[in-house]
Amino acid sequence: MVERILSIGAEAIVYLVEVNGLKIVVKQRVSKPYRHIVFDNEFRLYRTKIEAKILTDLYLNKIRVPAPLFVDLKNYIIAMEYIEGDKLINIINNLDKLHLEEYAEELGEQIGLIHSFEIYHGDFTLGNVILCSRDRRLYVIDFGLAGYSRDIEEYAIDLHLMRRNILAINPDLYNLFFNNLLRGYSKVFDKSDLVLKRLEEIKLRGRYVEERLKRKLIGEKYIE
Amino acid sequence: MYVLGIESTSHTFGVGLVEERDGSIRILVNLNEQYTPVKGGIHPREAALHHSRVAPILIKKALKETGLKTSDLDGIAVALGPGLGPCLRIGASIARFLASYYDKPLIPVNHAVAHIEIGKFISRFKDPVVLYVSGGNTLIAIQKKGRYRVFGETLDIPLGNLFDTFVREIGLAPPYLVNGKHQLDICAEWGGKYIPLPYTVKGSDLSFSGLLTAALSKASKASSREEIGDICLSLREIAFNMVTEVLERALILSNKEEILVVGGVAANRVLMDKIEHMAKQHNSKVSGTPLEYSGDNGAMIAYTGLLLLQNNISVEPERAFIKQRWRLDEVELPWLREF
Repeated sequence: MVERILSIGAEAIVYLVEVNGLKIVVKQRVSKPYRHIVFDNEFRLYRTKIEAKILTDLYLNKIRVPAPLFVDLKNYIIAMEYIEGDKLINIINNLDKLHLEEYAEELGEQIGLIHSFEIYHGDFTLGNVILCSRDRRLYVIDFGLAGYSRDIEEYAIDLHLMRRNILAINPDLYNLFFNNLLRGYSKVFDKSDLVLKRLEEIKLRGRYVEERLKRKLIGEKYIE
Repeated sequence: MYVLGIESTSHTFGVGLVEERDGSIRILVNLNEQYTPVKGGIHPREAALHHSRVAPILIKKALKETGLKTSDLDGIAVALGPGLGPCLRIGASIARFLASYYDKPLIPVNHAVAHIEIGKFISRFKDPVVLYVSGGNTLIAIQKKGRYRVFGETLDIPLGNLFDTFVREIGLAPPYLVNGKHQLDICAEWGGKYIPLPYTVKGSDLSFSGLLTAALSKASKASSREEIGDICLSLREIAFNMVTEVLERALILSNKEEILVVGGVAANRVLMDKIEHMAKQHNSKVSGTPLEYSGDNGAMIAYTGLLLLQNNISVEPERAFIKQRWRLDEVELPWLREF
């Protein structure tokens, strides 16, 4: 029985469904009227597939993600465990300093562990993290843009996305939040040094970054 | 209150004049001349030469059409960046001269801010998600705590640049536009089949370089006009899908109800159709920007200059340096503090 719609996201509708007293989440990737039908079907299929695969992989490796229950590729549906709680994006402004630090570090550890399995998230933002009201732990959700890769670049992009997201959502929290996140990240992931170095490079790639111009001038004129 | 605005960041030299009377603002004149390369892309020095030739003519014409004298003006606004150095220097030099000779406040305007502000002025949107797509920029921004915050942007080349480079490399451009229509839109009509090309979306960021490389490699093997058409069609479809997808994500994450599209590509009907389809599903309002104000133009600089002047923002001419890399999210704007 469909209880209610949990969210209407950018690519999927997420339903809360009750089956024999058990609450589960059913996520259906919907057709996008702006996409040509050929691309539309291919997309929904690919993303449903990869999300199911990665959720299974992470869940079996004891990473805190919703447990996948079943997949219906014909209808682009995944059913998974219901994580009751609040998305980090909705509560981050109301957290006290202590909790903010604690959650940031925990989140850093989470994404670090995910990366240590050679998986990147692809849309790592505050909207894709749930603070579970049952165990007060963080769960990373929405792996539709995720993938398998050994490329440091993909891991650094995850951190870059989170950095930009927190800057857009609440710039005042940026330093505290992101520094603690990186601390947690470095604790669990042995390639974190390389990733953080790449993260700096990505920042400089943005349009019109002043430091890049300076670096280039120094590079060309003063250093061999 | 009258403000004259000068735009010269890239291929366009523009002059705009705005008037504020009893709280209402009017654009009096918007005159723009574009430099078009004979071959290849924009040559900064050639463009600057063009600007220096048309500048005095356009400024005199703007004043003549409005019946104003330089002494009637309350401020001289100029786009100091981001943009091409040689081009920026033309506008900046003229603005510095006008401001110091006639003793008027000189108002430094960020070109990206101006694109967004003129879009807001025309659409009357108060708090939109902004998509800024042009030859030099592809980004999504929202208003927060006194600035535009970049929500997502291209990690490599901008959308307009992708299209321009592709049609140039396959020998269709210059000219990049024919009767206001981009060469890519023209060659897309030759095709009818969709072929797979790389689609790279990273959260709310985009990457177009892989798409460009793959499309060029396919085009080098194409043997007919139809095949080239298929590639153009697919390239455009995929690039616009990518932009629409990240825009949709930003719309949902930011909880806004308005979408404003600004910049040169905002005039593209195919893109606007996609965005309107997407917005409908979220009951959001969409506004593009009419051609006259979506491409680079002087009016947007004058209008933004007026807003800044009303907030007492100006710069001493001797300190009015051009900034080739002046990011949108560096600019503090008093009227965005309430968001």
